[in-house]
Amino acid sequence: MNLDYQLSDEWEEDSLDLSTVDETELRYNVALGDLLLSSNDVDLSARWGWIPLLDFVLALNEIAGKLDQEGAEEVFEFTESSAELRFARLGGKIVISASYAEGELKVAPTLFEKRIREFATKIGKEVATKFPGLATNKVFKQWSLFEGKR
Amino acid sequence: MRLLRPWLISFVLLASFFGVSYPASAQRPASARADAGQQIIISERTIHHIQDRHWPDSPAQGAGKYSPGITVQSLRDLINEAVANGRSRSNTNGRPGRIYEYDFGRPIGTTINGNPASRLRVVVNSRNQVVTAFPI
Repeated sequence: MNLDYQLSDEWEEDSLDLSTVDETELRYNVALGDLLLSSNDVDLSARWGWIPLLDFVLALNEIAGKLDQEGAEEVFEFTESSAELRFARLGGKIVISASYAEGELKVAPTLFEKRIREFATKIGKEVATKFPGLATNKVFKQWSLFEGKR
Repeated sequence: MRLLRPWLISFVLLASFFGVSYPASAQRPASARADAGQQIIISERTIHHIQDRHWPDSPAQGAGKYSPGITVQSLRDLINEAVANGRSRSNTNGRPGRIYEYDFGRPIGTTINGNPASRLRVVVNSRNQVVTAFPI
């Protein structure tokens, strides 16, 4: 499973004081971009340019924590549309489907969690480097996921 | 009665000091909508955000769009009606705030697939500020 992102250069970071913005602002209007989610034969990517990527990986981490039992199901709601990603633990795998694309991705739970941590660490470093104000934001600093911790 | 009065006063004082809470399983009362009936706030920045993502001529992909002819005033009216009359739930995926959804029974826009949308989703933060609102 490939789980990655592409930061958009169009989000309006110039209009925000990233050192002080609150959690809602961070989860809706900061670090926007494309979600890249695919396997060899299935592509559930959402190349919409506006997906809040910090929010996405925080939500995915929460979802992963709830998929700890066979049969468990969780849904990720995108912030600006009725589109959804659906997650289920079936046959020892995490099965991922989308409301906006065909196909299913299947991934081992341990690999799913590893990909989430890699995504979080990568984007955490990238945005903290590009936007130093964000690195001092007290809400952002509390999100240990971006330091590679769950 | 004379004996009851000090006891009643103490009870009322204690109740107001500790606050009144609802069991987790109980529905939030109608008056708790948008945090105790307070007016929601729709800032100019939020209007611009909605115009960028959800206006009929917005190029943003993967986002619901309002019908042609929408105005800032009619957008405000739709949002206020949805918050006043819509179903409310906690925001999802660990996000703060609440979500209101209301079916207007007529098309107000299109879904991401281009199908007619009659429902509006409004996201409100914990300070009663509208974060975004879009047809679904």
